[in-house]
Amino acid sequence: MTRSAFWLAIALFLVAFCLIGYRVLRLGYPFLPTSPVKAWGLSMEIFFQPTGKDGKEMEIKAGLPQGRPGEAVIEQRDVSGSLQFNILSEGLNQIGVWSGDPEEGRVISYRATVILNPKRLAKPKPPGPDSFPAIIADKSEQILARRLVERWKSLEAPEKLKAIAATAKGVWRKPLPDDNDLKQWSEIQKRYGAEGALMILLRVADFPVRKVQGFILTESAITQPDRWFAVWTGQRWKPMQAETGDLYPESVRLLPLMIGDTSLVSISGAKLQEVRWGLSKQTLSQWRSHFERIQRSTRFLDRWSLFTLPNQFQESFHILLLVPIGVLMISVLRNIVGFPTFGIFMPVLMALAFRSTGLGYGLGIFAGVVFIGYMVRRGIDRLRLLLVPRLSFLITLVILAFTVSALIGSKFGIREFMAVGLLPFVILSMTIERFFILIEESGAVQALRTAAGSAAVAAITYKILEIDPLQLTFFVYPELLLAIMGLLLLLGNYSGYRLSEILRFKILGKKS
Amino acid sequence: MIFRQFLSLRNAGVLGMNRRNTQYIMRHNQRSSFPLVDDKLLTKKLALVHGIPTPPLYHVVSHHGDIAGFERALVDRQEFVLKPARGGGGSGIILITDRRDGKFVTQSGKVISRDEIRYHISDILSGIYSLEGLEDKAVIEGLIHPDQAFGRVTYEGVPDVRIIVYRGIPAMAMVRLPTRQSDGKANLHRGAVGVGIDIGRGKTMDGVRRSGAITHHPDTGELLRDIEVPFWERMLLMSAQSIDMTGLGYLGVDLVIDKKDGPLLLELNARPGLQIQIANRKGLLERLEMIDRAPKEVFLSPEKRVGWSIQNFTEACS
Repeated sequence: MTRSAFWLAIALFLVAFCLIGYRVLRLGYPFLPTSPVKAWGLSMEIFFQPTGKDGKEMEIKAGLPQGRPGEAVIEQRDVSGSLQFNILSEGLNQIGVWSGDPEEGRVISYRATVILNPKRLAKPKPPGPDSFPAIIADKSEQILARRLVERWKSLEAPEKLKAIAATAKGVWRKPLPDDNDLKQWSEIQKRYGAEGALMILLRVADFPVRKVQGFILTESAITQPDRWFAVWTGQRWKPMQAETGDLYPESVRLLPLMIGDTSLVSISGAKLQEVRWGLSKQTLSQWRSHFERIQRSTRFLDRWSLFTLPNQFQESFHILLLVPIGVLMISVLRNIVGFPTFGIFMPVLMALAFRSTGLGYGLGIFAGVVFIGYMVRRGIDRLRLLLVPRLSFLITLVILAFTVSALIGSKFGIREFMAVGLLPFVILSMTIERFFILIEESGAVQALRTAAGSAAVAAITYKILEIDPLQLTFFVYPELLLAIMGLLLLLGNYSGYRLSEILRFKILGKKS
Repeated sequence: MIFRQFLSLRNAGVLGMNRRNTQYIMRHNQRSSFPLVDDKLLTKKLALVHGIPTPPLYHVVSHHGDIAGFERALVDRQEFVLKPARGGGGSGIILITDRRDGKFVTQSGKVISRDEIRYHISDILSGIYSLEGLEDKAVIEGLIHPDQAFGRVTYEGVPDVRIIVYRGIPAMAMVRLPTRQSDGKANLHRGAVGVGIDIGRGKTMDGVRRSGAITHHPDTGELLRDIEVPFWERMLLMSAQSIDMTGLGYLGVDLVIDKKDGPLLLELNARPGLQIQIANRKGLLERLEMIDRAPKEVFLSPEKRVGWSIQNFTEACS
């Protein structure tokens, strides 16, 4: 082992793992790529009709998922045709605004994917004075409410909330208020409704409270949003059922879309016909869930991530990043295991091509083309062609074989036969020539052994490349390329025996 | 389990491919000197300068345009060898033993036409046999008439002696005997027989063919053991001079013994194979490490190096 190569390898490992560590620990990248994440798909369709007045601008506003702490909106898509779509932040809300010239019977369609991750709850800020809703009741009613609440002054916040909820349901805790107060209270309840009365009680008990519209997360199609209160309990906002005053149990997941009194969907310049929401559970891999988040992040390593590339260029990197894994495999299989192969990197290119043809078809087509090529090569041997035209002839033959295979594939609907064009044709032609020479010079046994070695290496490499999480891991952490370079440095210094040499030098080993 | 196997190879002093490449070839063979041995014409020139005999050079074809002229250059030669200057592993070599009616008779008795020879030369020039696929030259040189020392154990062709020379010291040797399967060629991977040579005594030992141990020649049925190699010390000396010729510290030196001219240097190989260990039933690594421990003054002259080698690499048994 050369010492400098060793230290260089260590340095490369260190840099790679520091970068990965930074991403995992500081940027919250997922460490285990395979663990799936529960996500919710939200769809919204708004049907509207133009009012008929020509040239009038139409505007639709709708509350969208807010991406509050513990809630990540990873994907938002709008399918609204000619309408312009913008997302505005209005106070606590994210408002989607569609504007433009309405057409007959048009529909707005919006989709989002939201991940709820209770582990990543940031500590919420205590609410400011604006979080207290305006008092709707008049002076004397307020005094009454205050008198009722006064009796629970000594209770802790959670207990106080329970008492308020009980009151809203008409159950009075001891000490009971006097009959006059009770009578007056039921007047208030009648006037403001159960919700209004509850709001008054919370307000006079100094609980910051918000009205919320949104959804209880169950798989469903909905035409009316759910409504609830969010009550500040001292540490965080807790959802409270607006009718009963009971807090929702922790197991109920809620997706707020609009906080405050504004209606969830509003329209101007056209007539709202119907709004349909749909909720569906989705399972995403952790990586997938990071795609969009990373794209929008401003952190340095997030900005310098492959996710920021446009999609069509990302594709090619998905493939490119496989090549180093492939060549690492080749190095291991050749220098540590000791497979014989045609050409050094031919199996990597084969393995990459197998990704579109599949292993079975790929190997089959490969064997078929090499066999046909071999027969033709034997045939033209007596024609004494010069080397370059001869190899060019073989390349043309391989392309011809591809063409015929693709046509057969299209005739019988075998997709794999049509994908044949991705096989590395130059390498294939060279393989035919080498195969022919090897048979001539070293006999069919040696040639077939080398062919089998090449096929085995290509198959093994293909199997490794097929591991999707591995591929994604390299895409998310391209610094792993440095680690591969480190491994190759170490491998390049490996001076031990190859596994195949155990067999080769068996006679020598036994002696001692 | 596997580790135990590795350990047993290590204990036997076996040199593996990876170690050969990293510790010996890369460390002792300057890349810039490789062309000296990869190109047989250059090797020939160097040997001439150092007074080492090689087979006589008849003609060189360097360009496709010169192919037609090769026959004129050979007017009266009835026998010759056609080979690529940069070929490896014995590929592309044709031995011609006779000429009849404008046709050529190869060593195995096959008659080939003038056109076929020209086609072959053109292949050589295109680089099909050359190590890196580069354009090449076709070399035509004198045919060797092998000394009869190995006559009993040779099926056609010319046997050759391979000596591994490390830092100028002959480390291991074998003779390669053509067989019917190897088509008269002395290359082990074509099925020739490799027979270890005891450096100290200059006598053959047991043989190997395609990784299998043998004691008799597969075609002639004769015993391989205890054949005395003629001109042995001279051959050792010729091989020991290879480092002075090329500066390469790890070489395979290939020699042939001509009936008339004695030992001739055929070619040098900067990446000699490891099969020689099986032919000798002995690990090469052990000997290379011994050479590294040899006193400095041993390396001063070829004679001293050969002397040290004979002294140290004698098989105790038999």
